Amino acid sequence: MKLTTRQLTLCAVLTAMALALSYLESAFPLALTVPIPGMKLGLANIVTLFALYALGPAQAALILLARCLLGAVFAGNMSALIFSVMGGAAAMAVMILLSRTGRLSVYGVSVGGAAAHNCGQVAAAVLTLGNGAPLYYLPVLLGVSLVTGAVTGVVTACLFRALAHTRLLSN
Amino acid sequence: MRRSPELRPNLWDGLVGLAVLLAAVALGLRLWLPGGSGALTAVIRAEGQPDERVALSALTEPQERTITAGGYTLHLLLDREGAEMTASDCPTQDCVHTGRITRSGQSIVCLPARVSVTLEGGAQDGPDVVIG
Repeated sequence: MKLTTRQLTLCAVLTAMALALSYLESAFPLALTVPIPGMKLGLANIVTLFALYALGPAQAALILLARCLLGAVFAGNMSALIFSVMGGAAAMAVMILLSRTGRLSVYGVSVGGAAAHNCGQVAAAVLTLGNGAPLYYLPVLLGVSLVTGAVTGVVTACLFRALAHTRLLSN
Repeated sequence: MRRSPELRPNLWDGLVGLAVLLAAVALGLRLWLPGGSGALTAVIRAEGQPDERVALSALTEPQERTITAGGYTLHLLLDREGAEMTASDCPTQDCVHTGRITRSGQSIVCLPARVSVTLEGGAQDGPDVVIG
């Protein structure tokens, strides 16, 4: 893949934003109210979804991979890498498929991606533990993904509306 | 920009949401409804250790177990009605925040320590209704 300087810069900025959002969501003590292992707001998916439409699947995947790797390095927790990679890859795959149908708005794609993200993380937990106990949480996580996916969709839509009046992403 | 997404929600988005909701409900019914017969049993699984099965109905008094796995120490309280992780030195504390589990199919999971406690059995044997 050959990237122009403009594309490379945009990828770097979006990766930094995704990392910042990942860090920000760790400030929300979600586990105190909903004690589900691995449950997150999925704020970094805003960047993934935005990059998917603005830059395309290949560059969005690069940003996702960089975010997962750097996030694990900065957190000093390489064991968390499998969770972010499997969740992120599942979300990315589903969002690519759904966006290609041409029928869904950014909201439907976002909700599908959020649900897939949680499925990927539960699959990672099942692999890590070696038994199916984490599956118990999947119904709740799928329900929660309706909310987190909708929030991600709203923010991403706002982002596109705001940038429509700029030349930032124009070719 | 490659292409601008559709920014207004439509019927197809609603169908995606409905599909996710139906999947959640179907999985919930499959996983959360009481299953299995026999006494309510806590299955304790820790990485590198044999599975331990504790018949809760056979307990005469609450029993505290200390589980050491993955470099962490967890304290599990078992009694006739269920199980609860009372303390753990793991960083996330999700297992402690899960609280008490009392129904078959429920689990307490500690990912950092790679420990899970699952309740099995406990379904009522015998007829649901006696007529006449």
